[in-house]
Amino acid sequence: MAKAPERLYQYAEVFKGGMAMTAEPAEAVGGIPKIMHENFRLALKHVNRLIETVENDEPLVSEWYGNTCEIYAAMDLTHFCPVDLIIPTRPFFDSIDRMHEDDTPADSCALIRLAVWGARAGIIPVPTVVTGMLEPCDAQSLMHEAWETVPGWENIPTISLDPPYGYGDEDIQYFADQLKREIDFLEEHTGHKMDWDELRRICEETNKINSYWDDVNHCLMQKPCPFHSLQAAEWGWTQALHVNWPGDPEVTEFFKLMAETAADMVEKGIGAVENEQVRILWADLNGSWAEAELGPWLEETYGAVMVNSFAGRTPYSVIDTSTPESMLFGLARKGINEVPMIRQARGTVDTFLQDVKDMCRDYQIDCVFFPNHKGHKDQGGNIGYLRELCREMEMPLLTFSSDIFDPTFLPIDELKRIIATFFEAQGWKPLK
Amino acid sequence: MDKAMRVREICDSFRELCSVPYNESLQSYKNDGGLIIGVLYNQVPEEILTAAGILPVRIRAVGSQGTEASDARFTQVNCSLVKHFYDSAAKGRFDFIDGLVATNGCDHVRKLHENWTSVLKPAYSHLLCFPKRQGDDLQVTQLAKEIKKLKESIEAHFGVEITDEALREAIKLHNRTRELQCALYELRKGENPPITGAQMLAVMMAGTCMPREAYNAQLEELVALCQDVEGISDYKVRVVVYGGEIDSIDFFEAIESQGALIVADSLGGYGKRSADMQISLEGDLYTNLANAYLMERPAEPRLHGTRAARWEYLEKVAEEANADGFIQVFIPICDLWGYERVMFATEVEKKDLNCLVLDTEYIFTASGQTRTRVQAFVESITEGGR
Ligand code: SF4
Ligand code: SF4
Repeated sequence: MAKAPERLYQYAEVFKGGMAMTAEPAEAVGGIPKIMHENFRLALKHVNRLIETVENDEPLVSEWYGNTCEIYAAMDLTHFCPVDLIIPTRPFFDSIDRMHEDDTPADSCALIRLAVWGARAGIIPVPTVVTGMLEPCDAQSLMHEAWETVPGWENIPTISLDPPYGYGDEDIQYFADQLKREIDFLEEHTGHKMDWDELRRICEETNKINSYWDDVNHCLMQKPCPFHSLQAAEWGWTQALHVNWPGDPEVTEFFKLMAETAADMVEKGIGAVENEQVRILWADLNGSWAEAELGPWLEETYGAVMVNSFAGRTPYSVIDTSTPESMLFGLARKGINEVPMIRQARGTVDTFLQDVKDMCRDYQIDCVFFPNHKGHKDQGGNIGYLRELCREMEMPLLTFSSDIFDPTFLPIDELKRIIATFFEAQGWKPLK
Repeated sequence: MDKAMRVREICDSFRELCSVPYNESLQSYKNDGGLIIGVLYNQVPEEILTAAGILPVRIRAVGSQGTEASDARFTQVNCSLVKHFYDSAAKGRFDFIDGLVATNGCDHVRKLHENWTSVLKPAYSHLLCFPKRQGDDLQVTQLAKEIKKLKESIEAHFGVEITDEALREAIKLHNRTRELQCALYELRKGENPPITGAQMLAVMMAGTCMPREAYNAQLEELVALCQDVEGISDYKVRVVVYGGEIDSIDFFEAIESQGALIVADSLGGYGKRSADMQISLEGDLYTNLANAYLMERPAEPRLHGTRAARWEYLEKVAEEANADGFIQVFIPICDLWGYERVMFATEVEKKDLNCLVLDTEYIFTASGQTRTRVQAFVESITEGGR
């Protein structure tokens, strides 16, 4: 029996610990602790599946979140995004410090740096095949190539999908055609076959998940917000795109639990924050520290909630499951037009602006935080448009430079000071 | 006139042309009623513009004094190149162009194009979406479609027709440029190269900022002369420069001032990679253009799946030029070249190559520091360091 990287077994312990911490209240009161408990349980299930695959020497697919994982699941292929476990477990390991010691460019996104360092450090299992995504940023493409220079990763068969620039049917079809090639590639290199009926069932399950996610977002739009800062975006993003085995009814149940819990709280008028004063849009992905390290301070000090982020912006269309072609088309649309971040970063600034505009209106937002993440070079070039939009909407905008995956780049205390000054300028006082 | 003197004279005149965005040659072309389109980066198939009777001119913010105008449109996460380009555009330094064509060459450049188009409103603007990977027929077909869209857009805006015949002639003209440039590269492989790396950079850049027929004629003469001059012998080591859109002659001079003669390069913007292809005249010309730009031209880091080929090319260039070492150059905050540096470091280590990594902002000012580092590098080679 092969041995998985030690780190995977450690992740399993982290998630078991999380389950233990949330077990009691989960049974007792349900609600948010129960969702957290389930989130840990499904993450553990993902890790265990990875460990089992490596131990049994079965094919393992490396993917990135714009790849449509429904395809792997329909081929019964275990898949993972190489950074998806490094990020949520960051507080338990010294990954960021080790990453800093590596020679990856300090001015690039920590997610990419962690992915390259992680492969070099041997904490990421070596995949059988790599399916790469060349969007939404330049660094992703190079990250995939950098892996080829890591001992043990040199000759892994790789296919990377080229994203078009536009949003129309012709663009989606170009991507769908590549998905077809990806299936051929996977069949050739893993020996697993595509099961189109299974893909149909999975896509239907994905449709259900997305519908529940929509319900959750509808609840987040209400005052007071039923969940804590960025929680829903974090859970949804994690379960739908990272630790999800598409088609797993347990994941659908998880989204249902989120939707029901949120609806129940909204109905009772209960907010996650007792005295909600300010509603914030975090105009980027959550990253790895905003939710847990900034959110509680905002809530306790100002009654301010980061209601949602781009990670939770999920206007998914229903995948038409009538034919293999229609499914691939629907999956391609999801992969390039709808998945968070790729949605905002690919192509022109229009979707980014429309999302900010719609979210400010729908979520009853009082101000926008734009973290100017150092990996998002495209969004750096959006700043002028964003300022114009916020002026037009008379929406206060706070911009600061950060690395949303590296809390040492802009220390949290420094950010708190920046926010305090900004809030003061708006006339928003601390609660006490 | 002495041949060596004439070589210097031609190189100096090329350098002069490259020293300002709107040079004398472009001014007289415009005065004669010519149309100019500014081109962002080297993936735009300029043959299409030539076939339309429009002069493609590569945008360079040479002589840029600052980036203040960019501050409202870009942030700290954007590279100095796009900031200087935008600043120069906002200050009217490119007002002579009749339009702008760009590709999504990187995240910064596509945003440069977008901001330039929507804020500064050039009379014409087009973005050609270039595939991000070298691939198969899907990518070639996709790019051919994009090139046709560019053609149609030019035709509609400028009221011209781009016939196959005109395109064929344009391809021939550009092929000739590339052929002559390659011939000059060939001559620099010898023990006593006829011109320096800094001069060669001027030669390459001049081809992007003057009418092509006139350029080819001068290049023709230069190649003939270079076959017959004594060449440079007072150097200490022979180096190959590796990088992207480097366009600073001063930077090259700073390197060469320390006895490191640049005998070859793998540069995409104004270097050998841009010249090292010939476009076929057989069959569908749009497919040929797509095939050449995507599949045949030596690739850049921006084209996924080309890592091994990039280094093979670099090694071949170095070997043919009998180089002693590499100087890798990049602009900070550039993920494409930043990661290429990291990856190439593994190759350098594995093969025990002599390699110096230099970063430079788009406007080169760190002359003293560069000289010191190159001097140390040269010493490490000549004293048998590695
Ligand atoms: S977070 Fe942004 S910069 Fe980082 S890898 Fe993802 S898209 Fe690229
Ligand atoms: S230097 Fe790099 S980041 Fe800057 S424009 Fe060129 S490719 Fe893009």
